[in-house]
Amino acid sequence: MPPLLEVSELSVRFDTDEGRVYAVDGMEFSLGEGEVLGIVGESGCGKSVTVMSMLGLLPPTATVSGRVLFQGEDLLQVRPARLRRVRGKEISFVFQEPMTSLNPVFTVGVQIGEVLRKHLGASRSAARKRTIDLLELVRIPAPSRRVDEYPHQLSGGMRQRVMIAMALACDPKVLVADEPTTALDVTIQAGILDLMRDVRERLGTAIVLITHNLGVVADLADRVIVMYAGRKAEEAPVRELFARPQHPYTIGLLGAIPRPGEVLQGERRRRLQEIPGRVPSLSELPDHCAFADRCPRADERTRSEIPPLREVRADHLVACFHPGEDGTS
Amino acid sequence: MSYVEAAALSPASRRRRLLRRRFLRRPMAVAGLAVVLAFVATAIFAPLIAPYSPSATDFYAVLGHPSGKHLLGTDELGRDIFSRIVYGSRASMLAGFLATVLAMTIAVPIGLAAGYYRGWIDPVISRITDVLLAFPFLILAVGLAAILGPSLLNATLALGIGAVPGLIRIARGEALSLREEDYVRAAIANGGSDLTILGRHILPNMLSTLLVQATVTIPVAIVGEAVLSFLGLGVQPPTPSWGVMLEGAQSYLTQAPRLAVYPGLAIVLAALAFNLLGDGLRDILDPKTQR
Repeated sequence: MPPLLEVSELSVRFDTDEGRVYAVDGMEFSLGEGEVLGIVGESGCGKSVTVMSMLGLLPPTATVSGRVLFQGEDLLQVRPARLRRVRGKEISFVFQEPMTSLNPVFTVGVQIGEVLRKHLGASRSAARKRTIDLLELVRIPAPSRRVDEYPHQLSGGMRQRVMIAMALACDPKVLVADEPTTALDVTIQAGILDLMRDVRERLGTAIVLITHNLGVVADLADRVIVMYAGRKAEEAPVRELFARPQHPYTIGLLGAIPRPGEVLQGERRRRLQEIPGRVPSLSELPDHCAFADRCPRADERTRSEIPPLREVRADHLVACFHPGEDGTS
Repeated sequence: MSYVEAAALSPASRRRRLLRRRFLRRPMAVAGLAVVLAFVATAIFAPLIAPYSPSATDFYAVLGHPSGKHLLGTDELGRDIFSRIVYGSRASMLAGFLATVLAMTIAVPIGLAAGYYRGWIDPVISRITDVLLAFPFLILAVGLAAILGPSLLNATLALGIGAVPGLIRIARGEALSLREEDYVRAAIANGGSDLTILGRHILPNMLSTLLVQATVTIPVAIVGEAVLSFLGLGVQPPTPSWGVMLEGAQSYLTQAPRLAVYPGLAIVLAALAFNLLGDGLRDILDPKTQR
């Protein structure tokens, strides 16, 4: 069976006053039905731009090329009216900022109902009934009362639940969650992640989860893509990635995660590993490995060619000339 | 009402209660509202309030002093000044409200389009409004009224059109900032069309700004109507209007200054009341207001 969503050769260029910025360069990935794909990387590596570009959500300064096949249809080629039908109905988004992503002048019921009425042509009363069901689905207590409340009466976690309810309103095939937990307290984050897992299991929704938090990915994703400077650095099933990271950047990311247990158990203090250097500016990307300047394994070849993606183990792709777990390279 | 009872109210009515409480805490705004309502009622019920017809002459009391018979005295033809001011409020209120509604109807869609779509349409609209704003409002209105010909309707049209450029600029600015809101992005990602975004997300969020702007535009139009009528470009005598009365009073300024003072006071009072109301609304609708 072909995958639900297949992205290939996706590149995004922004024409700015300071010149051309290549935010995404030759991205490719696929997403199967009900699969959870995690995309990780630090700020500005092109995670959000990748998913926004799929649905034409970028400003007009962006030039997008490549193919985004959704159920056999190239979303980069369809007319705007068709794209609007896909947005929110087939592929829906949850954004990072729950505090400001709801319109302050309407009740949450009106806002969720609007999506239902637009995409499904639901009547006012049917929309309200379904809205209450949705609020229940995302585990908002007393949904029949909350439906008439305004966004400012809800906490951040509640609002993110409302945003998820809105995204799920039309039973989308794909849910794109762009840093859904970043703005929330840790305990609330756990609740939201739990909810998303529940959604995948009960509704079979495929999820693209964008985050810079590897813990979140480990918790939820089936497969992980590590992005660096607009390109894919590594891709592997989640267990494989955490057990046998191959790309030095991935290894660096994993080394930068604090582990509370270690400190408490009195083990010798492990200094958190930082990755030296800085992410190269996207407007002057080198025509060699973008990670070369920060990489302990860099050599002549790294500084003269762009490493292609290759499969080092089953389903495990790495864009590096010297892949391998630390100490084995 | 106790806190518990208040909490049981629906959110919308709780917000209304909060706004009402904030409003009532501002005596100037309350006074402004009272005077505005009084003027509106006067305009609507003029025949019931005025003791005489505005054109009834009493030749036994020409340029008469205020008395029990004529509350504010009489003019050069023996017409009752109080009755004429009462009837004159009709022209003022009509011009004030209609001109503002007209200006909003024209300006808001244009400003929304400029602020939301940006592209080439924004600089085109913005530069045209800049040019129009370079003309003083009254010059613009006088010019338009002169072209259209003298009548209350044409004066109102002229005042309404004259107020358009300023309102375009305000609507554009609001649209420009609201389009960057996360909920607008979210609505686009949910498949909202431009019309939905503008009508459901941007316009409702700028209503409070527009409401305040309306209460500021109305008094300008009221004064404008008086000016145009004074210049003979608005209401035509013998129909009463505060501007017409001022014009007639000119010739008798030394003998009977009250002929100019009373309609002048009416204009000042009406304009002041609308401005106080507008200030009050601006304060209570601003979320940064503390009280």
